[in-house]
Amino acid sequence: MNPLIRKLEGFGPLSDQDRAILTSVSASGHLIGPRVDLIREGDAPDGVILIMEGIACRQKHRANGARQITAYLVPGDACDLDVALLSRMDHTITTLSACRVVRVPLDVVKRLMEEHPAIARSLRMSTLVDEATLREWLVNVGCRSAIERIAHLFCELLLRLQVVGFASEDTYEFPVTQLDLADTVGLSNVHVNRSLQELRRQGVIELKGRTLRILDRQRLKSIAEFDAKYLHLGTRAAA
Amino acid sequence: MTLKLQPVQIATGSNDRESRLVFEDGRLVAVLVQLSSEHDSHAGHWFLEAGFGRVEDPHAPIFADLREAQAWIARQLADVDPSY
Repeated sequence: MNPLIRKLEGFGPLSDQDRAILTSVSASGHLIGPRVDLIREGDAPDGVILIMEGIACRQKHRANGARQITAYLVPGDACDLDVALLSRMDHTITTLSACRVVRVPLDVVKRLMEEHPAIARSLRMSTLVDEATLREWLVNVGCRSAIERIAHLFCELLLRLQVVGFASEDTYEFPVTQLDLADTVGLSNVHVNRSLQELRRQGVIELKGRTLRILDRQRLKSIAEFDAKYLHLGTRAAA
Repeated sequence: MTLKLQPVQIATGSNDRESRLVFEDGRLVAVLVQLSSEHDSHAGHWFLEAGFGRVEDPHAPIFADLREAQAWIARQLADVDPSY
């Protein structure tokens, strides 16, 4: 099922007509390879980017080449509903893995918001959750140890991907390189590698190629002090 | 500038143990650790576990050997920043 509809329906009921319009809005789209900038810092926004498959990210670069990834966009995630209000992007959006990407024209977004109140409400909820997630990531890099940061991210992704049907009870595709992961959690590649090895040694995760399996969910949650409330999943937060 | 290296074992919580304390004129400026086989292509290379003062750099490179690491540390220490 369409991840955008799955995600938005989680925030509130949608009518058949709402579902039909969301299906048509997200139907087109392009397959884009990994490490492609979808829009760069300084560019004028030309639509709302919607990720239907794969993982993309928001990132900021320093002049010395260092970068910080500030958000992951997973299937069903649309970025910056109100981006039309900005004249220039203040960050870059890049694919981490191969993605199916839809660019929704600004006038279509405007019509969705004006003519479909249930969709508008869910999209606004989704923006609030994006902000809450950013706060949680800030706490992650500011207050948690290396292993805790990675455990927290793995817990969060399990829930976010389950909601849109891209994770089973304990397994999901994690097509993010170790270097990208390092720039996500603000650690060196060496510290990321050590933490992943430690999580493996403790029998908490299994990472085979790009497939992440969480062997001990309780232990992972406990390492991360993970509390899913910020994702506002309501009854969907079975994990 | 003379750098002195003192072998030490570090409890990093991983198999990376073999380390060197790096002193400049008797003052500790860096801690280097040799990466274990868990780091695949970087195994045997040296990582800046900690750098103090001008040697602090969260994006320091990984060094093929101690000579390369010392050269980098010496450059950091010699790099006079007028804002200091």
